[in-house]
Amino acid sequence: MKNSTLYMKLSIFLMFSSGIFQMSYFDVSWGYFRMIQAIHILSSIFVAVFILIPYVNKHTYKYMVIRKVNSISGVVLGIVLFLLILSGAYLFLLGNRGGDEIGIAAFNIHLYGSFILLAALLWHIKEKAPNIVAALFVILFIQSPSYSEEIKLHNIQIKEGFKRYHNQDWTNSAKCKSCHEDIFNQWADSNHRHMAGTNPYYMVMENLAAEDMGQEFRLWCMGCHNPSAVTTDKIRTAHAMDGNNMPGIIFESGSKDLINELKVHGNNRLEEGVSCVACHRILKTESKGNSSYTLDLTSREKYVFEDNTNGIRHWLGEKFINSNPKVHKNSYMKDIYKESSYCASCHDEFLPDSKKAVVSTFKEWEKSPFNNPNDKSKHKTCIDCHMTKLQNGKLTPLKGTSTDGGTIKDDVKVHYFSGSNHFLSGMKSKEHEDQTIQLLKTAAELDVDIRENKIFVGVKNIGAGHHLPTGVSDFRELWLDVTLYDENSNVVYSSGKLKEDGNLDSDARVFMKVFGDKDLKPVGLFFWRYEKMISDTRIPAGERRVEVFDIKNLKDVKLSKIIVKLNFRIYPQWVTDIVKNAYPQLTNPPVVELERIEKDFR
Amino acid sequence: MSIRTLALISFIVIVSSFTLSYFTSKKPKQSYSDDELRKVALSRNMSSIPKNYKDLLKLVDTDENRLTKNKIALGKELYFDPLLSKNKDISCSTCHLISKDTKSKTVYSELLTAKTNKKSDCIICHMSDQSGTDRQENAIGHQGLENPLHLNTLTTLNSSLAKYLTWDGSVESVENQSGASIKDKYKMAMNEAEVEQRLNNSNKYHKLFKQNFGEVKFEYVQKAIGAYLRTLTTRSAYDRFLEGDNNAMSASAKRGLSNFIDFGCKGCHTGITVGGQSIQKFPVRDYNSIMDVTNSFKDNGREIGSFGFNDGVYHTYPFENKGGFMGQDGRRLFRVPMLRNVTKTSPYFHNGSVMKIRDAVILMARHQLGMSLTSQQIDDIVEFLKSLEGDIVEYDIKDGEKNEK
Repeated sequence: MKNSTLYMKLSIFLMFSSGIFQMSYFDVSWGYFRMIQAIHILSSIFVAVFILIPYVNKHTYKYMVIRKVNSISGVVLGIVLFLLILSGAYLFLLGNRGGDEIGIAAFNIHLYGSFILLAALLWHIKEKAPNIVAALFVILFIQSPSYSEEIKLHNIQIKEGFKRYHNQDWTNSAKCKSCHEDIFNQWADSNHRHMAGTNPYYMVMENLAAEDMGQEFRLWCMGCHNPSAVTTDKIRTAHAMDGNNMPGIIFESGSKDLINELKVHGNNRLEEGVSCVACHRILKTESKGNSSYTLDLTSREKYVFEDNTNGIRHWLGEKFINSNPKVHKNSYMKDIYKESSYCASCHDEFLPDSKKAVVSTFKEWEKSPFNNPNDKSKHKTCIDCHMTKLQNGKLTPLKGTSTDGGTIKDDVKVHYFSGSNHFLSGMKSKEHEDQTIQLLKTAAELDVDIRENKIFVGVKNIGAGHHLPTGVSDFRELWLDVTLYDENSNVVYSSGKLKEDGNLDSDARVFMKVFGDKDLKPVGLFFWRYEKMISDTRIPAGERRVEVFDIKNLKDVKLSKIIVKLNFRIYPQWVTDIVKNAYPQLTNPPVVELERIEKDFR
Repeated sequence: MSIRTLALISFIVIVSSFTLSYFTSKKPKQSYSDDELRKVALSRNMSSIPKNYKDLLKLVDTDENRLTKNKIALGKELYFDPLLSKNKDISCSTCHLISKDTKSKTVYSELLTAKTNKKSDCIICHMSDQSGTDRQENAIGHQGLENPLHLNTLTTLNSSLAKYLTWDGSVESVENQSGASIKDKYKMAMNEAEVEQRLNNSNKYHKLFKQNFGEVKFEYVQKAIGAYLRTLTTRSAYDRFLEGDNNAMSASAKRGLSNFIDFGCKGCHTGITVGGQSIQKFPVRDYNSIMDVTNSFKDNGREIGSFGFNDGVYHTYPFENKGGFMGQDGRRLFRVPMLRNVTKTSPYFHNGSVMKIRDAVILMARHQLGMSLTSQQIDDIVEFLKSLEGDIVEYDIKDGEKNEK
């Protein structure tokens, strides 16, 4: 009996250790992982069938039936063991495929149950060791896994296993224009196109981050803003030059620079930023951290001459695709592109070391009523608002084609990527500005009431499937502009006006988050220094926020009218002032009135 | 000679031309251990920039311009003073960008948030590169005039250690070049008399010159600036490697260095500055045959790596000949550029026609060495060039130490 007890303990320990080495916490390399996994599964089956179950049967019978020992720890141990064997069998036979809830439950029971099993075993052996159990729990659970995780500035994976891509593995987006002209033109002035070297605000921020955190910190920004540069081993985002001058990047529409570059240099020069293939060759996204997506550029199915950029071969290449475009379509369009989680790999942002969330647009959506997979009529994904055409202030799916001469679709996914930045895209194209402002105006609803010498203004987030504002809401201004008039139409009270220098008055009620460092000092532009949230007045999806303005001192004044506006400005004036030092040609972003409500008291 | 003999001879010739490669050596390129690599590099005339001032003096102190602490300080004042330009709007540092306080780590954010900024937008972003150049394709000077030959600004960093200066190598000391730049009508557009007069009118400079030289004279302006330039050196991972730190350079950079030596790059890019020590022809190889592999940025879009028939005119350079500069005596003789800090002095070549360092490496290998490098070899050499990028050394400048040579 003594010997068999020893074998028992040894084999449980073996199963336990081979099991936990598969946890992502240990991040064992694939070569070892597959062996450990196989050993764990096969040996567990052997141990369970030939050693464990017979032993436990005998042991229980001997002590509980014959000797009538009343051991709580023994009962607990037995139950846990039973659950573990059951969940293990389920995992082995049916697996954890992600689709069924039982599989997920089995996985968690098996994982966490194994710790409890070990603890219960110790308890059972010693019968007096609750402190050991507690210590084990502290060590295993309280210790944060981020200790041992390597700090990764970006998480882009290259599926083919290369260390880096060559410039020519990327494809100049202008190449797609010959068949997808409308889509190209929409993208060409959109904010997804102008996210890196052509975006003055971004360039200033990347340089600032490099100065503050070291040059390699640029990769943290570039993982999403400039994937083509990161994967070709460039260490910073570069801007184009035309002789001694920087091209007119802010006002030039249609991405003529790209078109020209393709014409002059073929596909040799790298297109920095987010190009067509950057999104359309992502195979997998994860919510592990910044830019956690897997790219596969080189093993796409290419038609003969698809890569040629001019001459007869280029012409032939296009004909080859058009004669039977199914493979072309399949290699650039994946089902995951329609899901919200696809956007999460960049629209959820984390600090690289503390893993603190800086932007959580996807997580906000997940919790919002827009995420409703059970009721398809209420379920709205990212692209249902941000890639759908707007007309007359309403989301109106565009009927048309995405390929010149292609099949007519009921809902062409437009590539304006309308969000909130009407300003940078608007300087290039009025249509983009119009689309974005239309979308912005669907976001909120205002109501106003005056009672008990107070003004009550309610703002309800009715249109956005995420907080209002979301994204870098520490650099967004969404505020209430209130003006109160007396009988003679004199302004007797106001709030949320601009000061002479263009900055927003400090009395304004702004819906935003404010980041602070560890001493709760505002971090300003250096948002990567964020440690503690100072304030968060954003409005979650579907919720209403009430702002109260005190007007006690106007008790005796006869009021006539109140005007409340919900104003939006994409960047605060002080931010633009800083960027203008480096980009003097930049203009000031305008204030956009999203909602307006008037109330007469006469 | 019978037909049969002819056939035999041609058979032998053809067969041997196909089989010759089987008889040549298949020995792989020599690979060095870290210590061997260091030994080879040091024996090939490559050396590190001194860590301390005493050793620096041995290299840069001369009889003509003895370095003293005050003289260097005066030179530094002059380097950053726009007084030396005709319109009093540009100083040496306007084009040879470095910040006066080289210790400061917040150059960029300070310039961004400055209330009044006289500096141009380019300078605001590129000042923190501390590259000693303006990174423009074409040098800009007095009243925005561009260099008529489309030559770009060379870095001042480590320039005193080069044997030749400027693109054609016609100048041999930093003192001469600083004088020439002040007088050049495309640069600071001044004359000697006016410089002397302006400095005499300034109390500060009058006093400083009196203390250092006894009087204000254009020659002394050159000497003071030269003295400062002689202390403007950078140290990098490469220097630490040469001094014995095997971990200073990455494995890839070390492979790059060994290729750099083996392929023959170091034949010209040699000495402490990794270049700047000789004048050579560029391009050595013209490749002006029916098959055009020289490419042109101008014609129908051919570029590095592509290939076509040479239906165009003769190409002077393997890139666009902007400005028509033909080197010394019009014979395409150029000073071999220094490669220290090359990764922060793009665009490349005398007229800045090549933007990226990889392209420059490919061109140099093809036209100077006649080699087509593999992607890996290019990566390694670029990695080595990155290890040449360094920070300006803060010497503890003291008087009383002299170069005994």
